Amino acid sequence: MPRLSPEELRERMARDLPGAVLEATPLRVAPPPAHGPQPAPFVTSDTVVAAGQIVEAALYLRDTLGYAFLSDIAVVDYLADGIFELVYRFYTIEGGDGLVLKVRVPRETPEVPSLTPYWPGANLHEREAFDLFGIVFTDHPYLRRIYMWDEFEGWPMRKDFPKQGDKYIGAEE
Amino acid sequence: MTVKIERGQIVTVERGKRTARRLPGMGLLDGMAVVWKHWAGSFRKNQGFNDIHGVFTYEYPEERPKLPEAYRNMPILLYDDETSHELCTSCFQCERICPPQVIHMTQAKDPATGKPVPAVAEFVIEYDACMSCGFCAEVCPFDAIKMDHEFELSTADHQKLTVFKEQLNRPISYYERIAPTMWAEVRDGAMKKLQGNIKRRPDVIGMAPNLAEKIAARRRELEAAAAAATAPAAPAAAPAEGRKLTPEEKAAKLAAIKAANAAKKAGDTVEPPVAPAGAAPADEKAARLAAIRAKNAARKGEAPDAPPVVAGEPAGEAPPADEKAARLAAIRAKNAARKAAEGSDGAPVEANVAATEPAAAPPAAGAATSAAEAATAPADEKAARLAAIRAKNAARKAAGGGSDAAAPTTTGNVDSGGPGASDDAALS
Amino acid sequence: MNTGKLAFPMPLPAGVGTPSAPGGLEGQTSQEKPVRISVRRSRVDGCSTKDPAMFKTEELQINIGPQHPSTHGVFRMLVTVDGETIIDLKPVFGYLHRNHEQIAEQNTYLQNMPYTDRLDYFNSMANNQAYAMAVEKLAGIEVPERAEYIRVLMVELTRILNHAGALGFLINDMGMWQTQLAFGMREREKILDLFEMASGARMMCNYFRFGGVVRDLPPEFMPKLKELLVAMPAFVDELERLLRENEILMQRAEGIGILPKELALAYSVTGPVLRGSGVPYDIRKAEPYSVYDRFDFDVPVGSVGDVYDRFLVRIEEMRQSKRIIEQIVEQLPDARGGHINPRARQNVRPPVGDAYARIESPKGELGFYLVSDGSPRPYRYKVRAPSFINLTPLGDMCRGYKVADVVVILGSIDIVMGEVDR
Repeated sequence: MPRLSPEELRERMARDLPGAVLEATPLRVAPPPAHGPQPAPFVTSDTVVAAGQIVEAALYLRDTLGYAFLSDIAVVDYLADGIFELVYRFYTIEGGDGLVLKVRVPRETPEVPSLTPYWPGANLHEREAFDLFGIVFTDHPYLRRIYMWDEFEGWPMRKDFPKQGDKYIGAEE
Repeated sequence: MTVKIERGQIVTVERGKRTARRLPGMGLLDGMAVVWKHWAGSFRKNQGFNDIHGVFTYEYPEERPKLPEAYRNMPILLYDDETSHELCTSCFQCERICPPQVIHMTQAKDPATGKPVPAVAEFVIEYDACMSCGFCAEVCPFDAIKMDHEFELSTADHQKLTVFKEQLNRPISYYERIAPTMWAEVRDGAMKKLQGNIKRRPDVIGMAPNLAEKIAARRRELEAAAAAATAPAAPAAAPAEGRKLTPEEKAAKLAAIKAANAAKKAGDTVEPPVAPAGAAPADEKAARLAAIRAKNAARKGEAPDAPPVVAGEPAGEAPPADEKAARLAAIRAKNAARKAAEGSDGAPVEANVAATEPAAAPPAAGAATSAAEAATAPADEKAARLAAIRAKNAARKAAGGGSDAAAPTTTGNVDSGGPGASDDAALS
Repeated sequence: MNTGKLAFPMPLPAGVGTPSAPGGLEGQTSQEKPVRISVRRSRVDGCSTKDPAMFKTEELQINIGPQHPSTHGVFRMLVTVDGETIIDLKPVFGYLHRNHEQIAEQNTYLQNMPYTDRLDYFNSMANNQAYAMAVEKLAGIEVPERAEYIRVLMVELTRILNHAGALGFLINDMGMWQTQLAFGMREREKILDLFEMASGARMMCNYFRFGGVVRDLPPEFMPKLKELLVAMPAFVDELERLLRENEILMQRAEGIGILPKELALAYSVTGPVLRGSGVPYDIRKAEPYSVYDRFDFDVPVGSVGDVYDRFLVRIEEMRQSKRIIEQIVEQLPDARGGHINPRARQNVRPPVGDAYARIESPKGELGFYLVSDGSPRPYRYKVRAPSFINLTPLGDMCRGYKVADVVVILGSIDIVMGEVDR
């Protein structure tokens, strides 16, 4: 099984899975400061995959390339760019660096197909993403909140979640 | 797929019993043998890290383990034993770095000038939220805050866990005793910085407040020094020497400059820095000396900075408080000048004062100012230059605004600075 | 009815707890997916599930936890039991959720270091290592050789003390009270004394900085470490001998909580749990970081994937850690550089970008994903906590076993709630 670098992966996927690979547009990350030098935009070197095709892409990695071990699903809230980015990390048990697939969904309607039917290990990752960011994973067997209690309203880790005050405690303060 | 690894083997652990046991339950007894050995060994003391048997209980609280030097529990502040000055200068580095933000402090200010002094006025640490990370001790540039070894801090009184500077202070000898190597590494740098800071601390600011006798002793020292001092307090000469001023000298200088500015604002012509009446003896002397110098400069300049000052002071724009202050300063300046010029001719002064013509052009003002500058001391120069610049701006503004470019209309009883104007009018 | 001798291992009676029963993945009903669990169920006492009509039993949903001496922290398991047999198990987290990730977005990178100590509070040095590595990757800071050796030394000592404690807790959960735990804790105390000498605190060490470690090893550290290494083999042998061939333990641990090899990878478990199932994936060998590629050590793997295998794998790992420490003691005096990169600034302002660094912590793969926006504070700080992910198969591992086995299985996964909930 080959060990690929991110560029090679992008090429192969663009070839084998047409339509899955998207252009990695630069992200602003933080809102630009009022004065002073503007930070450089963030252009990722990892493969950006269309949200609807993530399952295909992940299965391609597992079956064709041998990257069977899904290590981590991280979510980043890019408020200034208006998207959520999900970062899927795959490794192969033969060792070496992993491969990363990134999925960008708009903040208003964050919906992504779930990997749980194929990777049971993605279960808790996706529940955490749902609980803290509000990303809805279709086909997830048990998409419930995991840290917060079930009746909690709001998505705590989003950047626009108020950090002061709480409608449960201190709302009257 | 087979996985290959470098420099090692993939070892499958053996399950089950290693040795064939004849009877079931022998494995249990094998384990009991281990327990037996430990029990038998528990009648003697453990010998050290290479011994796994034996009793190694510390019979606390009678027997206490020796804590290593680097042990950190809660922060404390250090002060020097000899001079009893605290090392802390209130630089706020520990407050900035503290992750749970439990350090709070305020900087000490010089009561005479209001300027910050490298000492700390109040220092509070909330011990109950402190996470003992040790960052404050790491970043302190003056080695003033260090981590203590005291861990028996339990109390039933929650308020006691918000500790203030008096409870945080420890002498350096205490820290040297608990962490000698760590202190030895930083001692020289810390003491050097401390000496530098002591010089900048006026009066008894910065001394550990619990050492009341030492503070009283130092106060007495300072007073004695002040009383005995006569001429040596010539701060006006100091800047020329290029040495740094003591806080007292700085205060005098500042007061003098303030007075000069106020006087200039009020339209006062020749008067350079003049100390307000009632200042310390040193200040008055400084003021007098400065007045003499200014007079000399004025004489040399001969129609010097009179115009700039008068040329359209932004009188109308000065707020009432400034006016009052300016008036007061002007009066004081006049008095001081008169006193100073008693010996010599008061006339030139007054003539110059009277010669304040409102309609001098800014360029002339500039020229005159530079002429005046050449002769005066740097402090006066600066003040004069400042006044000149202000005058220029005011003239420009007045030219645009067009009102009475006359002398200080602050008092209102000014006629447009005619030559026959009295001192009061001209000065006020 | 089973009377008389217990044949070991027990065959699975037909019809009990087949996967099509309310089971599958957390309420997921049957789907035509290739992944299927076929776990051997525990021995049956012959009565309840086969004959519900006789006893009019019904399923009961009860809580194990969150306040429980054996759940390794505040952890709640919602179990559906039929008698004593588990039909379904749902883990419920969040009782120790301290919002670590959002707090970290408010602090600078350096101020986050003591907070990482408190993630997996049992092994603070390992957390520090992973975080320091992530920031160094993000900011491009290099670590001198000597500092790398010191770091690996600390992490391997952490591994020994974690396994000593974890096995002790496992044995405690099995009901053998705290004998092994006490012996393990005694050796742990020695290692904690070493940590105190070096970093200043026993557990919340806060020892690592970007570019190295905060201060070099004090002169009294090495002699004590060498003394400790003298006794280490005897200690591990003793721990093993105490309970390895203990018939009670073997009955309680063999065949319990089996995680088959094919599923282990799909479940994303890492660490001793993965290796106990037979997959030889150790990040120190698979993707060597720091100076691990300079040491000889083996990777122990199990064959069946049950509690007993994980127990043995951890004991064997303690021996391998001791081997690594011996090699460090040999190689450390020749290491170049100081204990920290003198040019590394602690108040880092990394360029815009992201970085992920992972280590083989004693519990599994601990990873930090950091996204920087150029400011001194991280824009996104995510912890990939091993204990959290290792709990994924808990429900499936426990189905069909008894309540008492749940505690044992949980103990063998070796979780710490600080990591699970962050």
